[in-house]
Amino acid sequence: MPSASSLPQISHLATLEPSSPSRAWLTAPHPTLPLLATCSSDKTVRIYSLTTFTLLSTITGGHKRSIRTCAWKPNLKGESVLATGSFDASVGIWRHYDNDMNPKPKDVLSGLDFDARDKAIADGGMGENGNADEDEDEEWRFAIVLDGHESEVKSVAWSAGGNLLATCSRDKSVWVWEEVGEDDYETVAVMQEHEGDVKCVAWHPGEELLASASYDDDVRLWREDVDDWGCCGVLRGHGSTVWCVGWEGEVPRVFGDVEVGREDMRGKWVERREGSGSRLMSCSDDLSIRVWRRRPKERVQQSRLSIIRSGSSEENWVEEVQLPKVHSRPIYAVAWSKSGRVVSTGGDGIVAVYEERWRKAGGDAESKDTKALEDGVDRSKVNGDSKTDGAEGMEGVTTGAGSTSENNGQQEKQAETEEVPEATEWVVIAQLEGAHGVFEVNHVAWAPRRDKNGGSNLEHEELIITTGDDGTVKVWSLDV
Amino acid sequence: MAEILNANPTIRNASDLPSRRRQGHTQPSSKTPKGLFSGTVPPSAYLSDPFSPSSLSDSELSDDDNAEIEPIDEQEIYDLISPISDPEHPLTLGSLSVVNLPDIFLTPTFPERGSSSPLTTLTVLITPTITHCSLATVIGLGVRVRLEQALPPRFRVDVRIKEGTHSTADQVNRQLGDKERVAAALENGTLMGVLRKMLEGCESRAV
Repeated sequence: MPSASSLPQISHLATLEPSSPSRAWLTAPHPTLPLLATCSSDKTVRIYSLTTFTLLSTITGGHKRSIRTCAWKPNLKGESVLATGSFDASVGIWRHYDNDMNPKPKDVLSGLDFDARDKAIADGGMGENGNADEDEDEEWRFAIVLDGHESEVKSVAWSAGGNLLATCSRDKSVWVWEEVGEDDYETVAVMQEHEGDVKCVAWHPGEELLASASYDDDVRLWREDVDDWGCCGVLRGHGSTVWCVGWEGEVPRVFGDVEVGREDMRGKWVERREGSGSRLMSCSDDLSIRVWRRRPKERVQQSRLSIIRSGSSEENWVEEVQLPKVHSRPIYAVAWSKSGRVVSTGGDGIVAVYEERWRKAGGDAESKDTKALEDGVDRSKVNGDSKTDGAEGMEGVTTGAGSTSENNGQQEKQAETEEVPEATEWVVIAQLEGAHGVFEVNHVAWAPRRDKNGGSNLEHEELIITTGDDGTVKVWSLDV
Repeated sequence: MAEILNANPTIRNASDLPSRRRQGHTQPSSKTPKGLFSGTVPPSAYLSDPFSPSSLSDSELSDDDNAEIEPIDEQEIYDLISPISDPEHPLTLGSLSVVNLPDIFLTPTFPERGSSSPLTTLTVLITPTITHCSLATVIGLGVRVRLEQALPPRFRVDVRIKEGTHSTADQVNRQLGDKERVAAALENGTLMGVLRKMLEGCESRAV
């Protein structure tokens, strides 16, 4: 529970205008510029300004069915590249010179020049034949279409370096594409281990490690091992479709203060987190949000590699914790902010924000926790009773318990040395109902605030961007 | 569908079907439902709904006496879906007892909040005519599409196979509950052709 007397509020800052006339699926914030790209069932992508909250241009004419997903390529200068994935089974790559997209102060800052805006809409796409009449048809250039999937593309994601693009589809496959030249992409992997639609793909923020979420209730991890891409982990635990996966930033953040006497616990937590790297979060039709953590490999096991070569890339991931339950309808999206907060949304129209906090040894939890601390590192027996402490909504704090990635028992020994007392807990710090009125909310993302101080990047102030069945994109501030 | 899966289904008389509608309301409109999937996303022609200020009484609705002041109840849901045609018989889902009034449930989506939340969960359990009917998914999809197009967006529509009435109920339920799959199915021309035919008998006012 937040200890402060004033609870954080999720406040409506803006609704992007004009909105899509039909269901909008997802909004992707640009990695560096104050831009948002919104995919719609009307087969277009709308590019909005995060400074003025108005439409800058519209990408049309490429896809024959709903555009379900899009992603900005990172690490570019002077040009923006957007990948789009559609129910028409294709993936499009679109390019745009950044200087064209800077909102002209006269047109946009006033926000009233509808002619200019309409013109932008009309010119935004190049049409299938590149038939725009004026020179602005160069605004968004269709670069290439990536064909290969057999049915609807559900998600696309660029690796942190930007050289790899992952795509996934109802055809149960995950593809990895590599850009080998300008507008030249090569298929480097087609991975078909999922047994149902693949709903979402997301890259680790630092490694070339890919996570995918599926209709088969599993999350899978993929990486390249000696020139071959393959599955290196299966995260089992969800009881229904996993809609979305999101990675923690490379630098973790736990909120609140560490209680006197528990600094030791913090040290162990930080150490363990360093060994694991970024954690993964997944949300599901089963109404749960789960956090997964990698167990670092033990050197002792290296000897086994000679027997099973494929075991070398195998990773051992465990379910660390489930977030407090908020949602009562499928959870469609979860996102981890740079500052370490998490936001989720779904079919119930609720937007919830969570924080991981240093656990306080309050109430009846105290004796157990203290005892656990005294036991020190080697406390393999604590697993069982550690779940009984009084943390609200925190059932299933499953360090060592619950499901593990396809481990075959070889890592059992690790549990002892890796065990860390429950140093942290997740709490809901803010909650908003009816974010899009009575409509379902399909997606949520974080973006730095850019509408103040001349659009400079206020990293410390993070906005929440929601995308709904009503076609609108809403921008919310979190007033902490 | 060359082969009829259930050649001899049980059929109920129209007069036996639950109804409180008067003459003149039950006859299907001759108008072809147009723009079937343009209505799957926030459109204009919902049933009138006291919670939704946006559902204005446009021309289509104004013909329909009293609909604007009656709350939406199970009977009204039944009336929306019972005229849907079976994909392989020239019969309605009501007359085949695929949809039944006692298998329609309206509950608040957030029961603990009482009337402060307008969201309502509608659960419709469908009973396939035979336990291995491969068309159960299509029938369920027809029901879901009909309801999503006719009802205001505050309704959360769950269409499921009634327990014990179908051999692959879990699979069918999963598909019917998957928003993304349903949305994609509505962009599939072949499937939409089948659905359009099934929904032909429904009143066009909300389609």
